[in-house]
Amino acid sequence: MTNPYEVVYIFDSALEDEAINQKLDQLHAMIKVEGVDAPALNHWGRRTLAYPIKKSTTGYYVVANFETAPKLLPEFERTLRLDESVLRYLLVLNDNPPSTAQPPTKGEFDDEED
Amino acid sequence: MRVKKGDPLAEMRIRVIDYKDEKLLSRFLTERGKILPRRLSGISARHQRQLGVAIKRARYLALLPYIRGHST
Repeated sequence: MTNPYEVVYIFDSALEDEAINQKLDQLHAMIKVEGVDAPALNHWGRRTLAYPIKKSTTGYYVVANFETAPKLLPEFERTLRLDESVLRYLLVLNDNPPSTAQPPTKGEFDDEED
Repeated sequence: MRVKKGDPLAEMRIRVIDYKDEKLLSRFLTERGKILPRRLSGISARHQRQLGVAIKRARYLALLPYIRGHST
């Protein structure tokens, strides 16, 4: 049994891009289920936080969409909470898969640039 | 005479409000960052409930401030 989830991570912006990618790979290995696609990642990159979190004013945002088994989540979330380079994360059930993409691109034959 | 306006979100053909869409969400905040009441926002009850959840998630993710103009 798998469910669709969406996670938004806010990493410490002092972290190198490479380190972030590495971390994401490690994290996503924890929630890997046989026969399910790899998480769809959307890197927003560094942006200013609306208010400081743990004394940081900027954070590196990554949005990930994936399917996984709910029983894997407690361990996954525990790891996230323990990792000090993760300023914050939000894990929600993705009950609306169509509207997750940042720029709304609809139609497979639509090759418009924005 | 006050004219009853339709739900602005329904008019924009939005079915599900995305908490990551801070531009859209910020239209329904006061200048201090409070959520506009339905009487002012004019959106449907269903959308207002969704909007509340979306704004609170966006605040948690520091996409929107809890209080605007508050210096720490």
